[in-house]
Amino acid sequence: MSIYESAVKRPIMTALIFVAVVVLGIFSYTNLPIDLLPKIETNSIMVLTTYDGASASDVETNVTKPLENSLNTVSNLKNITSVSKENRSIITLEFDYGEDIDVLTNDVRDKLNMVKSYLPTGIQEPIIFKFSTDMIPVMLISASADKSLPALYKILDDKVANPLARIDGVGSVSISGAPEREIHVYVDPMKLEAYNLSVEAISQYIRMENVNTPAGNMDVGNETYSLRVQGEFKDPSELNKIVVGTYNGKTIFLSDVAKVDDSEQERLQESFTNGTQGATIVVQKQSGSNTVKIADAINKALPDIKKTLPADIKLNVIIDTSDQIKNTINGLTETVLYAFLFVILVVLAFLGRWRATVIIILTIPISLIAAFIYLYGTGGTLNIISLSSLSIAIGMVVDDAIVVLENITTHIERGARPKSAAVHGTNEVALSVVASTLTIIAVFFPLTLVSGMAGVMFEQLGWMVTIIIVVSMICALTLTPMLTSQLLKLDPNHSKAFKIIYAPIEKALDKLDSMYAKLVNFAVRHRKTIVGLAIGFFILSLLPLKGIGTEFIPAQDNGRISATIELPVGTRAEITKSVAHQLRKNWQKKYPELDMINFAVGQASSSNVWGSLQTNGSNIISMNMRLIPLENRSRTLFQICDSIRKDLDYMPEIAKSKVTAGGGMSMMGGQSTLDLEIYGYDFESTDKVAQELAGRFAKIPGLTNINISREDYSPEFQVDFDREKLALNGLNIATASNYLNNRINGLTASLYREDGDEYNIKVMYAPEFRKSVEDIENILIYNSQGQPVRLKELGKVVERFTPPTIERKNRQRVVTIASTVSGTTIDKAVAAMNKEISQVDIPSDIYTKIAGTYIDQQDSFKDLFSLLLIIVMLVFIVMASQFESLTYPFIIMFSVPFAISGVILALGLTGSTLNMMSFVGMIMLVGIVVKNGIVLVDYINLNRERGMGIIRAVVSGGKSRLRPVLMTTLTTILGMLPLAISHSEGSEMWKPMAITVIGGLTVSTILTLIIIPTIYTMFASSKIKRQHRKNKKLMLENNNID
Amino acid sequence: MKSIFIAFDQAYYEQILPILSNNHVRGFTRWEEVQGRGSKTGNPHYGNHAWPTLNSAMITVVDDSKVKPILEALKKLDATSDQMGIRAFVWNIEDGM
Repeated sequence: MSIYESAVKRPIMTALIFVAVVVLGIFSYTNLPIDLLPKIETNSIMVLTTYDGASASDVETNVTKPLENSLNTVSNLKNITSVSKENRSIITLEFDYGEDIDVLTNDVRDKLNMVKSYLPTGIQEPIIFKFSTDMIPVMLISASADKSLPALYKILDDKVANPLARIDGVGSVSISGAPEREIHVYVDPMKLEAYNLSVEAISQYIRMENVNTPAGNMDVGNETYSLRVQGEFKDPSELNKIVVGTYNGKTIFLSDVAKVDDSEQERLQESFTNGTQGATIVVQKQSGSNTVKIADAINKALPDIKKTLPADIKLNVIIDTSDQIKNTINGLTETVLYAFLFVILVVLAFLGRWRATVIIILTIPISLIAAFIYLYGTGGTLNIISLSSLSIAIGMVVDDAIVVLENITTHIERGARPKSAAVHGTNEVALSVVASTLTIIAVFFPLTLVSGMAGVMFEQLGWMVTIIIVVSMICALTLTPMLTSQLLKLDPNHSKAFKIIYAPIEKALDKLDSMYAKLVNFAVRHRKTIVGLAIGFFILSLLPLKGIGTEFIPAQDNGRISATIELPVGTRAEITKSVAHQLRKNWQKKYPELDMINFAVGQASSSNVWGSLQTNGSNIISMNMRLIPLENRSRTLFQICDSIRKDLDYMPEIAKSKVTAGGGMSMMGGQSTLDLEIYGYDFESTDKVAQELAGRFAKIPGLTNINISREDYSPEFQVDFDREKLALNGLNIATASNYLNNRINGLTASLYREDGDEYNIKVMYAPEFRKSVEDIENILIYNSQGQPVRLKELGKVVERFTPPTIERKNRQRVVTIASTVSGTTIDKAVAAMNKEISQVDIPSDIYTKIAGTYIDQQDSFKDLFSLLLIIVMLVFIVMASQFESLTYPFIIMFSVPFAISGVILALGLTGSTLNMMSFVGMIMLVGIVVKNGIVLVDYINLNRERGMGIIRAVVSGGKSRLRPVLMTTLTTILGMLPLAISHSEGSEMWKPMAITVIGGLTVSTILTLIIIPTIYTMFASSKIKRQHRKNKKLMLENNNID
Repeated sequence: MKSIFIAFDQAYYEQILPILSNNHVRGFTRWEEVQGRGSKTGNPHYGNHAWPTLNSAMITVVDDSKVKPILEALKKLDATSDQMGIRAFVWNIEDGM
C-alpha cells in the first residue's frame, strides 16, 4: 500500500501524526532563543607575550619573529598579524571560518612550547586568547553621580558590578570613568634634601608603621590570650603623625616633609554622558551565551539594584544590544505573517473555494513549524537567517499541495468518489511532485556545504528550506489527499456574496487564459522574431549592470555611532576634555536625532578590561552615540555619520578621527572597510608612501575615515645615563631608573585598609615638583654608600620621538591605510584606489595589497559563484532524469538568463547593490524559475503524447498551465514582497535578497511563458524535419535498391 | 452459471463491490491494475505519462438469474460519469470445482 493510500484510508493516524509534529514544533519554538545571526565560531587566536623593558624593535626581533616563524606552520592558517610595541608582542592568527577553534588552540599551544627555549630569558609565558564576537559588550550602562562621585567606583563595584556579574552568562563587568581611591603622599624634594631623606626611606617608614603583628599567646589564670599589635592606620590622617627621622634633636613628622592627600588615582579615564560626569559600566557576555537572555536578566535586575544605591546616583542604559536584535526579529516575524496572509489570498483567488484553500494553507504552518524542531535540536536560534528562510519557503511550500489538490479535483469532477479520487489522483502526480521538490533541494542543500564566511551564514538557510520543502512534500502526498477525501465536495454551494466577489476574478482569469493562448499562438508562428526580441531584451537588460555596485554584507542602520577622535599626541587630558564637550554641545544642537552622547577621555586604568582593549590616552576621545528610533527620524545613520565626519574634518585641532556607523558593536552589518596594506621593511620609505597614498585616497569620493595604522611618533623625555659616571658612583641603570620611577610615577609604600577594601598608599613628588626638565635633572639618586648624586651629573634629559609600534602581517612589516566606504560601492572604490596607486612612484622593495571587507567579499563571491555552477548542474541533472532527455532541460534552462535580466533590472531600479544576500537570492532563483519551465514542458509533452500536433500541443498546453504557473509564481513573489518593502530595523539585510528574487522571478516568468513554448517548437519541429529527411533518404535508398 | 468480466476505471472499485454484495455475490477475482482503451469513446487507461489513469478488472461467476440485475446496476453506475467508464461481458461457464 502506498503512503498516500494508507494516509487516505487512515485519516485519524495521518491527522494525529501531523498534530504531533505541530505540538513538537510549537514546543521547540517556545524554547528557541533569539539572536541576530547564526552563531559564528571565532576564527582568530591571539598570543600575547610580555618582555619587560624591551623596545618595539627589540620585541620584534627577539619575540615576535621567532614566534611568528613557529606559529606560521599551524594548519588552516589564513593570516598572521602582529603588533610589537614597548614591552609587548601581540600576534593574531586568523583562520578559515568553520574550523574547530579548540583543536587550533591546542596546535598553537604545542608550537609555542616548541619555540619557548629559543626566546629571551626575560619574557613571561605567552598567553593565548580566543577571540570571538562574544567579546563585544552586551550592554553599556552609564552612572551619573553628584555628591557620591568620589566614592562612585566603590559603590558601583559593590552594588552594581558584583550583582550583574553573578547573572548567568555574564562574562565580565568593567567600570570605566569612575575614579578609584588612592592615598597620595606628596613629598617636597627640597625638604627631603634638607632633612637627608628620600622617597624610598619615607616609604620604608610608612610600611613599618602600617602593620598588624601577632605576638603569640599567653596564659593568664585559666585562660589563654593571644597577643597582637594593631598598628594599621585607622584613618589616612594618621599618616601625618608618622615620625620619619630626627634632625638636630627634633622629631620630623611626615607632615613636615609631605602632604597626605586622600583622593583618587592621578591619571584616569573620565566619562561623560550627555555632559554629566559619571561612570560607564560595560557588560560583556560569556562566550556562547545568549545576548537577549542576558540583557533581559540585567533589565530585570536593574530596578532592584537601583533601590540599593544612594539617591544621587542615576543608572541609565545607554546601549542595549538586545534592543536591536528584538526589533529586527519582531520586524521579520511581522513580514513572515504578512507573507502568510498574501499567500492565502493568492490561493483563494485562484482556487475560488474556501475548503480547498484551507487544505492547501494547512501545509504552510505544518512545514514551517517542523523546521523549528530542527532549529531546537541543533541548538539554533531565531535569527535573521532562520526567519528569512521561513519567508523564502512560505510561497514554495504550497506548490506541491496545489498540484496534488488540482489533480484530485479533476478526478472528482470526472465522477470518482473523493476517496478513490484522492488515492489515484495523488498517485498520478506523485512522481512529478517529488521531482520538483528535488529541484528545490538541489538548490538549497548545497548551501549547507559551502565553506568560509558564506557557509557559516547560509548553512541554516540551506537546512531550513530543505527541511521545510521535504515536509511540505510529505504533507502534499499524505495530508492533502486525506483532507481532500474528507472535505472536498463536488459542486459546492457558493453563497451569493462569494459569487459576487469571485465572479469578476474568474472572468479576469478566463480572459487572461485566452489572451495568453493568442500570444503563444502568435509567438510559435513567428519564432525567429520572438527569439530575436528576447536576445535583444537580454542584451539591453545587461546595460544597468555598470551602475550596480557590489558590497559584502549590507550595512544596517541600528542607530548607533561610535567615534574615536584623536588630538595631537601628547595633548593634555583637560584640553581633550574641553574639545569633547564642545563637540557634544555642537552636535546635540546640529543633530536633533542624537538621543544620547557618551564619551570617555584619558588613560584607562589596567583594571578596566574593556577600556584597556580599546585605544585610549590623554589625547583620545572615545564617543558612543545613540540615535532616536528609525521611524522617528528622516536622516539615516549613514547620512548622519557622513555629516559628522565632515564636521570633524573642518576642525584643525583634531589629528585623526574615525566614525563608525553601527557602533562597531556587531561584527557584521557595519559599513564596509577597504584597507591598503603597504609591505616594506624600512620605516621611512613605507611612511612616505603611506602618507602620499593616504592624501590621494582622501580625495576619492565615497572613501572616508582614512587612517594610517602606524601610530604617530610620540614625543617623550628620555634620560640618557652615562654608564661610566654611573659606575663611578657605584650605580647602574636599573637602580638609577628605579629612583626616577619612584619619584615621578610614585612608589606604592603600603596598603590602607578600610571596610575590607584595600587602597594604595603612594609616595611621590608633589605635582608642583614634577613639571619641568629641571625638576627631573635635580632628582637626587642615592648610591650604595648612601651618598646623594644629582641626576644631571649622571646623564642628560633629552626630548625624543619614539619609534612607533611595529605592525607585521604574514611575517613582513606592514602599514595599513584603512578607510570606510560610504556613499559608493567597494568595486568602484577599489578601482579608484588602484588608479591612484599606479600614479604613485613606489620603491621596488615595497609592495601594496588591497584588504579589508573587499577580500572577504571576493572570497565569498568566489565560493558562491562556484556554488551557483554546481547548483545549475544539479538542477540540470534532476530535470534530465525526470524527462529522460537532454533537450528538454536545455530548453527549460533558457529561463535562467532572463532571471538574471530581472535581477539586474530590479537591482538597478531600486538602487540596491549586489551583495552576499542578493547573490544567495540569485542562487535560489535558479531552482525557482526552472520549476515554471518544468510545468510547461511537461504538459506540452503530455499533449504531444496524446497525439496533438506540435503547435496545438504547445498552445493548449500553455493555456492550461498558465494558472498553475501564475499561482505558484505569485505565491513566491508575494511571500517575498513583505521582505522587500519592510522598513523595520535590520531590513537592510534581507531586502536585497527579496528584491533579487522578486525581480528575477517576475521577468523570468513572463518571458518563460513565451520563450519556452517558442524554443520548444523550434526544437521539436527541427527534430521532425530531421526525421522526415531521414525517412526520405531511406525511401530513396530503398527505391534505388529496387 | 455465467461469468461476468468487468473492466472499469480503478476509481469505481469501491462502488462495484457493494453492487456485487447487494446481489449476494461472494466470490470474485480481481486484477488491480490493467490497461485498456474503449472501442468508441473515452480516454485510454494506460498508467503512463500521457494517460495516467488505470483500469481494474474483475471476473465473477454467478447464477444466471443474477446476471441481469448486476449488469443493470453497473450500467447505472457507468452513467454517472462519461469519463471513467465501465464495461462488462458475460460468458457461459462449462464446469467448475
